[in-house]
Amino acid sequence: MAESSARRTAIFGIVATAAVASLCAALPWLGVSAYLRTLLYYGAYYLALGQAWNLMSGLTGYVSFAHGALAGIGAYAVVIAMNAGLPLWLSLLCAAAATALASLVIGLTSLRLRGTAFTFATLFFQELVLLIVRKLPFVGGPGGIVLEEILPAWLPYLLMLGVAAGATMLLLVIRRTRTGLRILALKDDEAAANAAGINATRLKLILFCVSAAIAGATGAVHGLFASSLFPNVVFAVDLSIVALAVPLIGGAGTASGPVVGALLYVVIREVLQVIAPGMHLTIVGLVLLVVILFLRDGVVVALARAIRHRRALPPALAIGPEPR
Amino acid sequence: MPVLEVKGAHRWFGGIHAVRGVDLTVAEGELVGLFGPNGAGKTTLFNLIAGAVPPMEGGIWLNGREVTRLAAFRRAQLGIARTFQIVRPFRSLTVLENVMASVPSAMAERDNDADDAMAILRTVGLAHRAHDLAGQLTLGMLKRLEVARALALAPCLLLLDEPLAGLTTAEISELLAVIVSLKSRTSIIMVDHNVRQSLAVCDRAVVLDSGSVIAEGTPAAVRRNPEVVRAYLGEAVTS
Repeated sequence: MAESSARRTAIFGIVATAAVASLCAALPWLGVSAYLRTLLYYGAYYLALGQAWNLMSGLTGYVSFAHGALAGIGAYAVVIAMNAGLPLWLSLLCAAAATALASLVIGLTSLRLRGTAFTFATLFFQELVLLIVRKLPFVGGPGGIVLEEILPAWLPYLLMLGVAAGATMLLLVIRRTRTGLRILALKDDEAAANAAGINATRLKLILFCVSAAIAGATGAVHGLFASSLFPNVVFAVDLSIVALAVPLIGGAGTASGPVVGALLYVVIREVLQVIAPGMHLTIVGLVLLVVILFLRDGVVVALARAIRHRRALPPALAIGPEPR
Repeated sequence: MPVLEVKGAHRWFGGIHAVRGVDLTVAEGELVGLFGPNGAGKTTLFNLIAGAVPPMEGGIWLNGREVTRLAAFRRAQLGIARTFQIVRPFRSLTVLENVMASVPSAMAERDNDADDAMAILRTVGLAHRAHDLAGQLTLGMLKRLEVARALALAPCLLLLDEPLAGLTTAEISELLAVIVSLKSRTSIIMVDHNVRQSLAVCDRAVVLDSGSVIAEGTPAAVRRNPEVVRAYLGEAVTS
């Protein structure tokens, strides 16, 4: 009974994701302003990046600080591929593959070890990629690289909606699969998971590669959107912090958490750009601190817990006395 | 051919020689009790057999195949299942999901589906809690869940590390009945400090002290062994 209810929730989530993504995709042709379209684009961008982080770090508990750099690799790869004359679809595929390959460098060296080794390896990777890209003349060095082809504005918008919706659906589906169970098991207790026959290292490595490929595809689409890439911006640690803040605020390990986190982040960022420019990461850090202190598992999980708690109470307690 | 052979296994942790040249053989369908005082090396020996830590000397064979250097998950996939001294459930999963998450060994024909998992839960008497989160179970139920998760591997060797510790008298009787019923499916090694009740169900007993085997034989013979009485049992159990 509980299983069929979970399946129904997942199917509802997938249908809802597809419906919202389709509606958003139609908006440019329904006369919405360029400003609103840009806001939605950024919402989808942060959602896709957050879901990529969530797939690895939210589900396994291995915290990555490299997802910004992985997205940056995707952005550079797509621009290099398109400037070399490859078609768009193949360039996007190259970007995802290049990022997955880069993730192997981190994963193979650190995923045999527990938690902190992986986190430090990702931090090191983030800085290393910036240093390397700044030294490479064929990717423009510190001056960056520019996409030579001019693309219609709706194309990156639609692609980003597709990546964000796809990543959200993947999270919804994977939690219901046998592989999903094994991922959650290794998050709970890796030694016990190994004793249950689960090859934890291989599972983490595959998951990190898929997560990196999604981050790469997200970065690639954003590369098409931005069209001018500067290493100090593309590989700044800010994006890695946003990638983890979005799911942590909403609810790491859940499919809906990053959706809420991305919406909140876009709103906070927009408001702060008006009232306190340059302060948005500081404020996001404070929000994250408040969430960790008071909501622990994020907004979505806290809400679900509160609703369950309210339903579990006897009617008299659930309704409570009328305020005088 | 024995299911398990341990030959001359040694393990040090810094200056502590936790396991000193232990030889151990377990036959098919045999229930072996492993006894000894705290610090005797029982759990370390379990960890060596299960692959949680490798032996520094000696070797381990499962059904004639050497597994000494294989990782824990590979040994589990070959049929060595274990429970833990301190229960380690997957707390965010339901009881049913805990069982379904296990990767069945090479001896199983396929992955466990929900029906298979329910059948395993019925064996250990947990079917009525199948859809509850594992974190909501009592200690006695968690011990049974660990046995269920181990059975999901379709093991040829089951290592039970203090399965009776912390249980009530009624829970001990229930779990011992389950353990005895499993002998038709798998060989078992059981560590427990509840000597009187454990010895009653064992086919053979092995006693460790300071990392070495000091006695081995039928439960009755081990109970009378003067060295075992001195090092571990005391007079009360033997009388």
